[in-house]
Amino acid sequence: MTSRELLALTVIALPALAAVLLLLAPTGLVTGLARFASVPVAALAFALTLLALRASGKPVIGDWLVIDVAGGLLVGVIGLVGLASVLVSPAYLDAGRDSLVSPERRQRMYFAALYLFWAILLAVPLVGNLGAAWLLVEATTAASALLVGFSGHARALEAGWKYLVLTSLGLGVALLGIVVLAAGIPTGGLDGLSWRALSTYSGGSETALIAYLLLLAGLAAKIGWAPVHNWLPDAHSEAPPPVSALLSAALLPTVLLIAWRSQHALAPVVGENTTQTVLIAFGLASLAVAVPFLWRSLPWKRLLAYSSLEHMGVIALGIGFGTSLALAGVAIHIVAHAVAKALGFYAATPLLSHEPRAGEHAVTGIGRTKHALGVSMGISLAALSGLPPSPLFVSEVLIVAGGFQAGHPWAASATALLLALGFLGLAHALIETTAGDSPPRERGPIAGLRGVTAVTCVSVVLLLGLTAAAVALPGSDLAAALVRGLS
Amino acid sequence: MSGAVIWTLVALGLAVLVVRRRSLAVALVTAQALVLVGVALDEAESSGDVIAAGALAVRAIVLAGLFLLLVSRTRAVRPVRARVAPLARAGIAVAFALALTWLVPAIGLVSRDAERGVLALVAFGIATAALRRATLFQIIGIVLVENALALAALQLPGGASVAIELGVALDLMLVALVAVVFYERIFAEFGTADSATLRALRD
Repeated sequence: MTSRELLALTVIALPALAAVLLLLAPTGLVTGLARFASVPVAALAFALTLLALRASGKPVIGDWLVIDVAGGLLVGVIGLVGLASVLVSPAYLDAGRDSLVSPERRQRMYFAALYLFWAILLAVPLVGNLGAAWLLVEATTAASALLVGFSGHARALEAGWKYLVLTSLGLGVALLGIVVLAAGIPTGGLDGLSWRALSTYSGGSETALIAYLLLLAGLAAKIGWAPVHNWLPDAHSEAPPPVSALLSAALLPTVLLIAWRSQHALAPVVGENTTQTVLIAFGLASLAVAVPFLWRSLPWKRLLAYSSLEHMGVIALGIGFGTSLALAGVAIHIVAHAVAKALGFYAATPLLSHEPRAGEHAVTGIGRTKHALGVSMGISLAALSGLPPSPLFVSEVLIVAGGFQAGHPWAASATALLLALGFLGLAHALIETTAGDSPPRERGPIAGLRGVTAVTCVSVVLLLGLTAAAVALPGSDLAAALVRGLS
Repeated sequence: MSGAVIWTLVALGLAVLVVRRRSLAVALVTAQALVLVGVALDEAESSGDVIAAGALAVRAIVLAGLFLLLVSRTRAVRPVRARVAPLARAGIAVAFALALTWLVPAIGLVSRDAERGVLALVAFGIATAALRRATLFQIIGIVLVENALALAALQLPGGASVAIELGVALDLMLVALVAVVFYERIFAEFGTADSATLRALRD
């Protein structure tokens, strides 16, 4: 076993072990233990990311485990967002008392479920096998649904229920696609579903296409691509803010990676152009559905949720275009979206304390009544809208340019138009939220603001660094490794 | 597996879609899973196959126990009326199943009957979740889809991976367990198990 493989297994095992310890620890130690364990988990995840990026030309590709550039990037993103989510969670837990479980078990169950969710998420990008990837993605549903409905409020129960039912049905359809693939792979068994073996499918291209469509349609329900995105705005808006951050910034792109790996593996059988067209169609549909909602006055977390739909569409388009430029854009987009979106969701905890109506109504003029909170929300929205110097501006330019480079001028033009419309919607929301008219509000101290301010400072540094990296990434060895994938 | 067994499984699936009582639907979906266990044991060629059949049996019994417990703990004053009448539900589901079998070419299972049976059960599962208002039926719809996939796994030419079959059974039990937690809280919060009450979140 190589050092990278050992590190990968430790990255998965450590948060799983922490989840068990959190279930057993004395109540008074739960929060401290959760905070303490988050640092080594994140540190190991970052170490694995660095190793994966440094050895971009020599990925580890096994039947059970893969460590490549794309997976390494996602592990870093999940490590970062998981760390921040754990650290800001005590402010959320202190701000309310309601939950699905009894008050005595509230913190314990929250952190145990959060760590379990984190552990499963870290495993998904590293898994070397489509069947095992499906099992892990389905397992994220059980862990995260409990967290979505954690407050136990009627709206959270509705959101959690929809999430559970819709994604489970979707993943059932995806599993049918996997079974169809398994039927046509000579190796058979679990080995036959490894990423490399998928390209040996011999059941005919027509059946392979059906399997690919079933697989992607099922995964789309989990990624939140339109038109099977119905659970996404509800779950993101009703989950505890640290969980919403993990759902949007980590879960969605992680499942998207499975769709990407499947597309790459099945392209030789189904046809490169066909597999990419399916992704482009999902991407354009998601953008087209999201943009009208970005123009509406929505509650803060619901606005962020529709922004997630938009950004998952952009990433699908980048993968669908598939050129070096587009994939460089995808890599930057995934990381920058995670940083900006997580910041936005973390800001929801102090926002709800400062303006309790924010859970169900659009808010205006936060920057006038609470400057620091307005700055955090403004930076998040500005970055998500693609306002320069946001790295998302550069990544979107790269993806659109990649579309023209790939010979999809109509799709690239439509993407540019929809992105421009989305930008206008979010820019309007940015102005209204931060500098619009504000009703009288309590100006005293609010829960969780210090933590969010600290996250904002780190986010600004990361976002500016990503902008610089985005300019340098096209044409680099890392971009070439993304194009090669696991082949 | 004989055609008669496959069509028995399909008939049980259709019956789940039509029946009114939750306990009867639980019995039908459990019977379906136990038929699959019988087939799995009958066709087992290795210890791995027997283990997979055992996992399927444990899953069927655990889910039946969970669901029946839930039914007994959440007796509604008035039964939840489905939004579509039974015959119309059956008609829609059969039309959906026929459309799927017509649209999807051969998928590589050992017989075309098995392929049709799998597609029909997937269609019935989705139709159950979409057309029944009682929340328990939505979970049962998911179980129907998973039973269809278990049938597909049994009808793979080389057999399915035991690890995957065990994982699927475990995952489904986890999801069902979480669904049960939600179901009880929804019943306590809204005083009914009618999914039509879950409509506060709209844009």
